[in-house]
Amino acid sequence: MSERQPGLGRIEVSPTAIASIVNEAVLTCYGVVGTAAKNLPSGIANLLSRDSKRGIEVRIEDGQIFIDVYVIIEYGTRIAAVARSVMNVVKFSVERALGVPVAEVNVHVEGLRISDID
Amino acid sequence: MATRRSPRLVTDGQGFKRLIKAALGWLQHHQAAINALNVYPVPDGDTGTNMVLTMQSAWVEIKDSPERNVGQIAHKMAHGALMGARGNSGVILSQIWRGFARSLDGKEVYRASDLAAACREAAVTAYKGVVKPVEGTILTVARMVADAATAAAEVSEDLVYVLEHMVFAAHEAVTLTPSLLPVLKEAGVVDAGGQGLFVILEGMLRYMRGEPVAEDVRLVEAVDLITTGLAPGKAGYGYDVQFLIVGQGLDVDTISQRIAEMGECPLVVGDPTMVKVHVHVPDPGVPISYGAGLGSLRDVVVEDMQAQYQDFIAEHELPAPPSPQALQDIGVVAVAPGDGLARVFQSLGASTIVRGGQTMNPSTKDLLEAIENLPVEHVILLPNNSNVILAAEQARALSNKSVAVIPSHSIPQGIAALLAINYQADFETNVAAMTSAMEEIETGEVTTATRSVTINGVEVADGQVIGLHNGELKVTGTTVEEVVRALLKEMNAADHEIITLYYGETISESDANALADLLQQDWPNQEIEVIAGGQPHYYYILSVE
Repeated sequence: MSERQPGLGRIEVSPTAIASIVNEAVLTCYGVVGTAAKNLPSGIANLLSRDSKRGIEVRIEDGQIFIDVYVIIEYGTRIAAVARSVMNVVKFSVERALGVPVAEVNVHVEGLRISDID
Repeated sequence: MATRRSPRLVTDGQGFKRLIKAALGWLQHHQAAINALNVYPVPDGDTGTNMVLTMQSAWVEIKDSPERNVGQIAHKMAHGALMGARGNSGVILSQIWRGFARSLDGKEVYRASDLAAACREAAVTAYKGVVKPVEGTILTVARMVADAATAAAEVSEDLVYVLEHMVFAAHEAVTLTPSLLPVLKEAGVVDAGGQGLFVILEGMLRYMRGEPVAEDVRLVEAVDLITTGLAPGKAGYGYDVQFLIVGQGLDVDTISQRIAEMGECPLVVGDPTMVKVHVHVPDPGVPISYGAGLGSLRDVVVEDMQAQYQDFIAEHELPAPPSPQALQDIGVVAVAPGDGLARVFQSLGASTIVRGGQTMNPSTKDLLEAIENLPVEHVILLPNNSNVILAAEQARALSNKSVAVIPSHSIPQGIAALLAINYQADFETNVAAMTSAMEEIETGEVTTATRSVTINGVEVADGQVIGLHNGELKVTGTTVEEVVRALLKEMNAADHEIITLYYGETISESDANALADLLQQDWPNQEIEVIAGGQPHYYYILSVE
């Protein structure tokens, strides 16, 4: 992501930096209990991490930001509502930080964590 | 609706259903106001709506259920909340109910201690749903409510008392949210979701106290928000203005700066295509004209805060928080026969119980000793029996302390009086409030005639079961059940809301519950409370209110 400032120079924001913003936002999202590397075969423990950005992909195409997040959601929450809230929070956090519109946020639910059985 | 005068010790499934309905109604009443607070995590102004939709879905799930088991009803409503969860706050709310319901699993009814445990489980479950819990949100409110419920349930078994403390704690927690979450402080608001949870609990408390709960969303909205202390008091009231600017290349920082110069509590957020503006100004035209110059305006809301504040003062007075300790300088001496009733009076805050009642009246000396032994100067005496009032008056005259006798003729009257104590008011105010509370309750007593006699045209044979309404003989019969029924009819139970049965020492708990089940068929719309009174002589003492 780069932008020319007339008479000054360029500001560049790398996808990795954006991924950090996304990661912070996702982990404060209610219902999300972790991010997960995408396409992990089931059965392999998806170790959850607070810092890893492995569950987040940021692409910049034609100056537009596309974000994919791979999350683990708490069992017993309404997954659609949580995912929607992830979209909103990620979009809002990135746009607030960068002032650049986010084109897409795609949420991939990679697994559920079961802490309580009702 | 009458103000409640007897202790609420249990809530069953149907009772819980009514609480949920009240909570939903009260939440709808505040929906727009809560929406206006919404700045976190995304300032999209839909928290109130989302919480209402979530609660509506919960309510729909239970509204036609005749289930009396509270665990079942709670599970159903939690399921409904989950299915209908909308938005971030709705999801958290559904988790709160999920934990609450899990804790009540298999319970017929909940008591104060169960309620506290359920609140604890609700908070724990809510916290589990997020990696980094953010304080200053509904989570904080849920946790502080659980703490308050636990503390209150240790002091009293009265559910109204516990709920009062929960509501007070929720209010405190909501007030704290701006100091915990900077984005709220910057916007000059409290947390919307936290406010929503407070409103839900307040709706329940209002119902339990017999206060009206609005159910029509279109009624006046946006009145009694908890403010951060910014709205009332500072620089007059003016107008609360909100709108969206839709346009191209909007400069959020410049707009934010300009709006901030215009008034108080500015909040400007958005992106170059859409900006949300909120500000308190003396003249609403100024920000609106400014916004209209930048793009097209949507969702313009202008509210007169002066009027709001006056409504706020008129309609909303948060109950003064009852202190969890006994009254500071007022002691209550209550006369009660039987262990059960003694416990009831104690759990409601009576300092000293003097045993006595029908045919075993305490002496003036017993009462005087109880008064003198209390470490306070002001003492309220509840004789709870016509035959004890005279002795109580004599004890009052003999004591050097400031003593008031509330002339309660029966146990239910005494309980009504005790429940009317205001933990903040002074002695005289309390005496007046307790006396008038006592007068509003109807008492029934069921016992056995000890001789054959005719009173008020009612013939009684020795050994017959008799029923007294407010101390007067009204009905006779051969079985206790028959007399209880006839007496409740005599007391016009159908016109009241709550029937309370205090069962005596000769009646077993299962008999009392069986009778309550039978009565429920005759009075399906009334709540029936069964309390172990353990009193001698009287099979049952009844009250309706």
